[in-house]
Amino acid sequence: MKKIKNPKELKSLQQRLSKTQKSNKLTILVSTKATCCQLQNSTAVTEKLKKEIEKKKLKNKVELITTGCLGFCELEPIIIIKPQDILYKNVQVADIPEIVTKTFIKGEVIDELLYVDPSNKKRIKLETKIPFYQYQNRIILGNNAKIDPESIEDYIKIGGYSALAKVLTNMKPEQIIEEIKESNLRGRGGAGFPTGRKWESCRNATAPDDIKYIICNADEGDPGAYMDRSLLESNPHSVLEGMIIGAYAIGGTNGYIYIRDEYELAVKTLKNALKQAKEYGFLGENILGSGFNFSIKISRGGGAFVCGESTALMASIEGLPGEPRAKHIHTTEKGLWNRPSNLNNVETWANVPIIINQGTDWYTKIGSGNSKGTKIFSLVGKINNTGLVEVPMGTVLRDIIFKIGGGIPHNKKFKAVQTGGPSGGCIPEQLLDLPVDYEKLTEAGSMMGSGGMIVMDEDTCMVDVAKYFLNFLKDESCGKCVPCREGIIQMHAILTDICNGLGKEGDIEILEELGEIVKETSLCQLGGSAPNPVLSTLKYFRNEYEAHIKDKCCPGGVCKALITYEIDPELCTGCHACFKQCPQDAIAGEKKKPHIIDTEKCIRCGVCSEICKFDAVKIK
Amino acid sequence: MKELNRIGVFLCWCGANIARSVDVKSVIEEIKNYPGIAYAEDYIYMCSDPGQDIIREKIKEHNLDGLIVANCSPTLHEKTFRNLAKDMELNPFRCEIANVREQCSWPHEHEKEVATKKAIKIIKSTIEKIKQNAELQPLPIPLTKKALIIGGGVTGIQAALDIADGGYEVYLVERLPSIGGHMLQLSETFPTLDCPQCIMTPKMTEANQHDNIHLLTYSEIEEVSGYLGNFKVKVRRKARSIKEEICTGCGECSNNCLVSNVIQIPELESVKDKLDTAMRDKLDQIIEEYSDEAGPLIPVLQDINRQYNYLPELALKYISERLKIPLNQVYHVATFYKSFSLKPRGRHIIKICMGTACHVRGSEKVLDEIQRVLNIKPGETTRDQKYTLETVNCLGACALGPVVVKDDEYIGQMSSSKVKKILKKEN
Repeated sequence: MKKIKNPKELKSLQQRLSKTQKSNKLTILVSTKATCCQLQNSTAVTEKLKKEIEKKKLKNKVELITTGCLGFCELEPIIIIKPQDILYKNVQVADIPEIVTKTFIKGEVIDELLYVDPSNKKRIKLETKIPFYQYQNRIILGNNAKIDPESIEDYIKIGGYSALAKVLTNMKPEQIIEEIKESNLRGRGGAGFPTGRKWESCRNATAPDDIKYIICNADEGDPGAYMDRSLLESNPHSVLEGMIIGAYAIGGTNGYIYIRDEYELAVKTLKNALKQAKEYGFLGENILGSGFNFSIKISRGGGAFVCGESTALMASIEGLPGEPRAKHIHTTEKGLWNRPSNLNNVETWANVPIIINQGTDWYTKIGSGNSKGTKIFSLVGKINNTGLVEVPMGTVLRDIIFKIGGGIPHNKKFKAVQTGGPSGGCIPEQLLDLPVDYEKLTEAGSMMGSGGMIVMDEDTCMVDVAKYFLNFLKDESCGKCVPCREGIIQMHAILTDICNGLGKEGDIEILEELGEIVKETSLCQLGGSAPNPVLSTLKYFRNEYEAHIKDKCCPGGVCKALITYEIDPELCTGCHACFKQCPQDAIAGEKKKPHIIDTEKCIRCGVCSEICKFDAVKIK
Repeated sequence: MKELNRIGVFLCWCGANIARSVDVKSVIEEIKNYPGIAYAEDYIYMCSDPGQDIIREKIKEHNLDGLIVANCSPTLHEKTFRNLAKDMELNPFRCEIANVREQCSWPHEHEKEVATKKAIKIIKSTIEKIKQNAELQPLPIPLTKKALIIGGGVTGIQAALDIADGGYEVYLVERLPSIGGHMLQLSETFPTLDCPQCIMTPKMTEANQHDNIHLLTYSEIEEVSGYLGNFKVKVRRKARSIKEEICTGCGECSNNCLVSNVIQIPELESVKDKLDTAMRDKLDQIIEEYSDEAGPLIPVLQDINRQYNYLPELALKYISERLKIPLNQVYHVATFYKSFSLKPRGRHIIKICMGTACHVRGSEKVLDEIQRVLNIKPGETTRDQKYTLETVNCLGACALGPVVVKDDEYIGQMSSSKVKKILKKEN
């Protein structure tokens, strides 16, 4: 491919590519190229689709785009047919022939493949009318549905790299920084630091050998968060474009994308995108004829949550263990290899081209208060519509969970929503009208974090949740400072005792005291925010802790030491299925007669409860 | 040399120390008739002035040519009586002590018969010995009154200071570029928890400044010849390539050294020849791939981990050698990050996602069931090397939770009842 030498050539390429889009053509979007779509067999579905199109000789009438993540994970694999905007969900290989014949050729809709709204059980044909999509504002994720992530030309076609061209032609570095400052873009990695200010301080830092680093934090360590992975797998160039613009504004010379080791596919997609960007002249020397040079390398993580912290991340790139250091001197002055370094999250970088193209007036109209623009959340857990949602800042939690998320499955009752990963906290029902906003979430005892939003219902034990997060953090603590290393272990030990029925009077007070100490005195924010899950669950669900300690009972029915499995004799049909599966031979009963569980032998594995078709196994 | 035949034996009572256990009178009775004995007497305190006078008198009177004093340990009074002999113009080496106190009367305090018999035996042996004694003359010989100490640790430094303070010249030779040794590298001493640096540094500076001490650091002993008082030592002074008189120890040269700025680290022996060719070639290939990276250690380790399913010890040592990274740092990194395994892993790797969404959907129960069925804990491998169980902190496939990955196959919506089936399935 010929290198694009200047912005004019880019514009003409873009125009040329747009013209090839015939208006009477059908455009078929099938989500293929993201990790979890592939787990749902989307590769096979796509292959079958290609074969059918070939078979029915529709190649000229149909344009097939294999996209990345379309966001509504619950419905994968998804096929969207444009221009009608018909959405088919959970498509199987066997459905393809019918889809091609009925919908592509005849224009008919197949009802069984349409999304059903759980609130009114109605089938919805159009993607745009599905509440999940309707209430979102997908300024970033929306592009996933327009491009094949392995094609840089798809990205150029929809206006990709035009923000870079604008910046290199019309704007001085200081102007770009002003623009980002005015947009009020804040770090989407979790801390919410004003991006413009960070860029400014890095620009002003002295680089003794003229090298400055531009780094993308793609470590995404928060369990339950995968929006960065989705962005990198589905629209990698949006992140690259943001980084190149940032490099130009700051004076960066070398870039790194630090991506966690577990994201194999994202690494592959990124490598391909970097290669293409270099071929087309967006990276390397004399970018678009501006005289500006910038290159990006990939650095893979080793599997450590703490490497999401900026100084630990940089230590990891240097080949050292990921131990954070105190930030009396910021990394914008002395970071990677002691040189000025600017680190931003994947989603933050992806926002940059949009702000440059659309302008701050447009951007600041989205959002509220001091939190502008949109935020991508991974809505997971006990929720009907699992997926990635992008909403304007300031959207109310209730709307996200119930309007977009479709509420709690099996008609269970909502209990709490956990935001901010292991650094965040749980928000109870009474605060569901809180808007998602950096300040408001922090006030409530949680935080925005990277955007993980885990919904919990009445069958979740909040003490167990606190114990879970501490268990996670105690393994991920780098061990350098005493409060984090020792404090988390001790808090975890107390919680384990409580969950095992060994809690005693005074445990809650110790947890609170320890929590405050760890928070105040840890060296980095891993320890500094580690007590949050405990403190927030204590704030809103103190009664659960007390039930565990005083009454030795687990209201959520989770803590094995405090629950018993019982078979309801009214519902049991004596089908004998549980008897066969019980690993401890703890179930006794004759066929066709109600069975009984021996609680002494029972290890609470839950197998019987899962396979009972009559819902006769109850947890007490 | 003529054998002595006019020997005098003088048995001391040492107050009651000897006399209470040894029957001194019968000893003298026995000894005075022994061949070669010219005179024998017992007295209450032989070492006293009157006692010594008796000996002087009897030497003259009986023209004694040998003197035996049977009394306490020679460490106490051998010198006393040898000086007396010299005084009386009897060669001091013809004076011997027979220890009948520490070796006889004291151990056998309550066995008079035994003590007496033993005392006689001891004295008789001493008589036979003294008969062979030559007239030795001490000779003055020239001595080099200097010391050379090999090793500049705490022992060597202290010895050097002690000798130097005594007024003698000392050479302190140390192999490493600095004295101090291992003690200097510790953080506390046992059991007092003292600070080794606070103890050592005053001594070290004194060793450097002392007029009598010549400090030869970064030097090794090549050859030692000679004998006590006249040693000849060959010392190799290794090339420092630095003007010691003006060096301030700022360390700038070390920071910028292109070859290696490793100091004070003993060189490990090369493992290049211990690797089999296939592994060495593979490792070389991996190192080559990242040769233009400024921080290649982690990607190199990842590729090795992927290739061999774990990090073999020899591979780590080879990497340390080739990349010139201290072995302890390689291990620090290898043990810090979760994706590396130092132990060989099983043929099938079962990973279970411990993300929050999966947890809320019941991943704990799935983990418990897998542990129960395979009888291993996370991080362990089954005895038949078939399965390794690992936990992963979020695979990012939350919509499908709980998620288990068997080798490269992602299995969603896991539950404890599905575990046995999944494990049985062979691929």
